[in-house]
Amino acid sequence: MTESARDPYIEWIARQGRRQVELSSDARARVMDAVRAAPLPVRPRRGLGWLTTPRPLTLSPLASSLLAAGLVGLGVIGGLGVTHRDGRTPAGQPAAVAADPQLPVHDSLQVHRFELAAPGAVGVSLVGDFNAWNASATPMTRSADGKAWTVTVQLPAGRHVYAFVVDGAQGGSQWVPDPAALRAPDDGFGTPNSVVLVGQRGTT
Amino acid sequence: MNARVRRGLAAFAALALTAPALVAQGPDPLARLDSSTRALVLALEDSARAEGLPAEAVLSKAQEGVAKHAPMAAIARAVRTVFLSYREARATLGAKADRTELSAGAAALQAGIPTTALSDLRASGHGKSIAVPLVVLADLVTRGVPRDVASHTILQLWTAGAGDADLLDLPKAVGQDILSGAAPGDALLNRARTIPLRLPPGKVPE
Repeated sequence: MTESARDPYIEWIARQGRRQVELSSDARARVMDAVRAAPLPVRPRRGLGWLTTPRPLTLSPLASSLLAAGLVGLGVIGGLGVTHRDGRTPAGQPAAVAADPQLPVHDSLQVHRFELAAPGAVGVSLVGDFNAWNASATPMTRSADGKAWTVTVQLPAGRHVYAFVVDGAQGGSQWVPDPAALRAPDDGFGTPNSVVLVGQRGTT
Repeated sequence: MNARVRRGLAAFAALALTAPALVAQGPDPLARLDSSTRALVLALEDSARAEGLPAEAVLSKAQEGVAKHAPMAAIARAVRTVFLSYREARATLGAKADRTELSAGAAALQAGIPTTALSDLRASGHGKSIAVPLVVLADLVTRGVPRDVASHTILQLWTAGAGDADLLDLPKAVGQDILSGAAPGDALLNRARTIPLRLPPGKVPE
């Protein structure tokens, strides 16, 4: 299209647009006053300010999938039941946990209270097949009168073998069975164990 | 999305996807065993799984030995005993024995109770779990009651309908009598006479 073939109306608009507009000095002063009165844009601070300043974020479907996968992975890491491929739990992670009487008990778990009279002990813990025989997994609490040590745990139904580890004032620790419980056969290591039947009609 | 955000997301996803696998390997519960004992425990665990036996019983015995600072030879002997006793308990009690019965049966065998005592209890169990009489039986033998006296008495009580609660009270009472000077076998026989029996109608003597 040539210049001469343009619409005359468009040509008129173009001329008006190119025309130099003369501003009075008064108008220029008013514009500058308005600019000075407007608040200055705030520059975002470094560090915490950068983190807290909201900003739009667009994600591709691939990035969204990666983010979702990452969050799922973190959930797995934070999960309570870290198990090996064969279903066993790491030694440091007790399967039995101290029971909170305020919380509902799962159907497959039953609350059981263990008690040992050991007034001279400086610490007592419960060990057994339910906490991988980990002496630091289930510490017991000294009773108000200072004579006994107790702990309440949730155990799955079945037969469980256990003992107490009593820390003496001299610094040594001793494995002792529960004198009030059923006895387990020789453990093969020279330290007797006790037995608790959980979930039977006559739970011991 | 700028390149920095993209790189951050990719690193986050890679870390989060690989971390669970790393964490799942976790602290090795058998790390404190020597190589041959560890290999034995793992082999027995695999065998137990293959035979449908609770493999965690083998692992737990190894963990117990480690926690008690037992010598490696003792740990190896103990895990082997556990595995063999579970296998024998399964063979004696049958495939329908539940995990608690298997555990109690294996413990009774470890206490020296003959397999015939287990099968007699099973045969007279009226379909009930025999975990309680087995646990009581093992306890009594551990307290010094002769095996044949303990097996015969518990079988009689069980067959005659003694309740689980009555059986579970027996060891403590027998233990008190033994502490008072009674012979373990006599203590059991005397205490057994005090247990009220609930004979089935067909077995009530005329």
